[in-house]
Amino acid sequence: MTFSNSNFPDKEGFYGEYGGKFVPETLMYALEELENTYNKLKDNKDFIDEFYKDLSHFVGRPSPLYFAQRLTDYYKSGSIWLKREDLNHTGAHKINNTVGQILLAKYMGKKRIIAETGAGQHGVATATVAARLGLECHIYMGAEDVRRQSLNVYRIKLLGAHVHPVDSGSATLKDALNEALRDWVTNVDDTYYIIGSVTGPHPYPMIVRDFNSVVGKEVIEQSKDLFGKMPDAVVACVGGGSNAMGIFHPFIDIKETRLIGVEAGGEGVSTGDHAAPLNDGTPGVLHGARSYLMQDESGQVKDTKSVSAGLDYPGVGPEHSWLKDIGRAEYVAVSDDDALKAFHEVTELEGIMPALETAHAFAYLEPLMKELDSSANVVVNVSGRGDKDINTVAEIDGIEF
Amino acid sequence: MNRLTSKLQNLKENNKKALVAYLVAGDPDLDTTLDLMHLFVDSGVDVIEIGVPFTDPIAEGPTIQKAHDRALKNNISLKMILELVDKFRETNTETPLVLMGYLNTFISHIDLVQSIGENSADSILVVDVPGELNLQTYGITNPNINTISLISPTTKDDRVESIAKNSTGFIYYVTLRGVTGSSNLNIEEIKNNIQKIQQYSDAPTMAGFGIKSVEDASTLAACSDGIVIGSSIVEMIADESKTKEFGRIGKYLREMKTAIS
Ligand SMILES: Cc1ncc(COP(=O)(O)O)c(C=O)c1O
Repeated sequence: MTFSNSNFPDKEGFYGEYGGKFVPETLMYALEELENTYNKLKDNKDFIDEFYKDLSHFVGRPSPLYFAQRLTDYYKSGSIWLKREDLNHTGAHKINNTVGQILLAKYMGKKRIIAETGAGQHGVATATVAARLGLECHIYMGAEDVRRQSLNVYRIKLLGAHVHPVDSGSATLKDALNEALRDWVTNVDDTYYIIGSVTGPHPYPMIVRDFNSVVGKEVIEQSKDLFGKMPDAVVACVGGGSNAMGIFHPFIDIKETRLIGVEAGGEGVSTGDHAAPLNDGTPGVLHGARSYLMQDESGQVKDTKSVSAGLDYPGVGPEHSWLKDIGRAEYVAVSDDDALKAFHEVTELEGIMPALETAHAFAYLEPLMKELDSSANVVVNVSGRGDKDINTVAEIDGIEF
Repeated sequence: MNRLTSKLQNLKENNKKALVAYLVAGDPDLDTTLDLMHLFVDSGVDVIEIGVPFTDPIAEGPTIQKAHDRALKNNISLKMILELVDKFRETNTETPLVLMGYLNTFISHIDLVQSIGENSADSILVVDVPGELNLQTYGITNPNINTISLISPTTKDDRVESIAKNSTGFIYYVTLRGVTGSSNLNIEEIKNNIQKIQQYSDAPTMAGFGIKSVEDASTLAACSDGIVIGSSIVEMIADESKTKEFGRIGKYLREMKTAIS
């Protein structure tokens, strides 16, 4: 086999110098058990068949690669294609991962499911697959996110899961992850932890990436069918990095395609008030992995700021840090204001209301389409739909219901 | 010889159990921490574990999490903690001191960790580095500090051996599945597991996590080389952080000491 940058992680769970398993001892056994189970099942035909069957019949895959005519006209250059993860059941890419991980939980005989969530999309996706299998489900969510994503909180409850608001620290996604890890340490014998992004200790970043890679694999086939070659660029927003990793990974060895990850620039990267560790962070260890991190000079994790709850996270999946360092992917940042502008633009031009997370990816089209050749094909990963963000956008626009 | 190693050896030779007590540096402030450290020693504590505050302490329950938060409000850094240790050493050169914290704070100050001298902290316990990994990998090679690894009820036998070998200070047996401050000790399981550890290693084994009452203390001391008490002390520190009247802590520690003697 030839050397390939898509062959990571190594045996210890590292992508170059990033990744690893930095967890309290109590969890080591659980991670090993998960890794063994996954390695056994990932090439097992029955398991793969079951996963793909669920993806087509329960999630509704494959999602279309849709030509965005008016958006293309608006930028007057290139062709813009939308990978419609917003059309998945529950409205975002997050379901791809939860459908896969709940299968792992089932094979492992676990009876209790836990997860963290930021925007609530992963909470909804987890509560959904848990309901489908009749498993007890607990979702940890920062108190601040409970407030700004109240619609999803209610959806999670309707699905029969318990929502635990987390008050500690900044009361956002990172704190929800802390609390989910603590739950797992305590209930490790009967509990499966479905992490929602390509973050956390090995083997999670690998597992979540693999389950989401169906997105990139479909784009490769659809690109051949629709425009007869590989895209010139693939653009995706990056919070923890799962939708981006899912669409990037099958492209890693396809060198003609630029991979562009868009982080949350908040008030602007230069202000320090953002959630863009790949743009303005340094390597550190958080939530079980070494990766780029927003931290102060004492190694304390900094508070983040973003209009988008799903991107409001000080860390990022380790494989993105690796792709950044080796130069295979580019990481940029987009401010709250630009993301909100793109949210409205795409909604009005295409009749597609993107999630605020996804709006960050759209906002980067502005500089990108200027820079690219007029024949360029650009794929935007529409990671989710924006219904959940209506309250946030209305509040910003000064509208009361 | 390392202060911690010789202290624990000494206790063992005299058939005594170690009382290890935990607090968070800078909770509620550094001067009070210094006073509390001396109070610990006066009340019979053999080893002090100093918690190095971190924004995301994933192994801690709510009691110790809040203590970390309170300390971080005072901007406590590893540098300030080592200065605190120096002050403590001005009048106490006997009591071993263990720094307990999370990898990110130690590697952010690797130069400080490497410069720790003989008359400072004696050991480091990094909660989020699994025991079979070497702290040397992260640049921590200072011969003046030894390392403490955790073994938990879920650690499999093959790993117990390699972890035990990497622990140069003592082996910290985590007495429950859970975060600090939880309860529900399973005494039979604890006894069996500590016996298993002692088959592989001569290093002293301390039992900790979830120890609150004198009954817990005496039962666990009977099957280990000593016990670690954390959350119950941190809770009393929080209760009295305004009055700074810590007589209750002294009394509690003396009772614990009697219970394990
Ligand atoms: C629609 C949508 N896109 C993106 C994200 C960010 O996560 P990730 O970077 O893991 O794709 C979220 C997270 O909640 C989301 O809901």
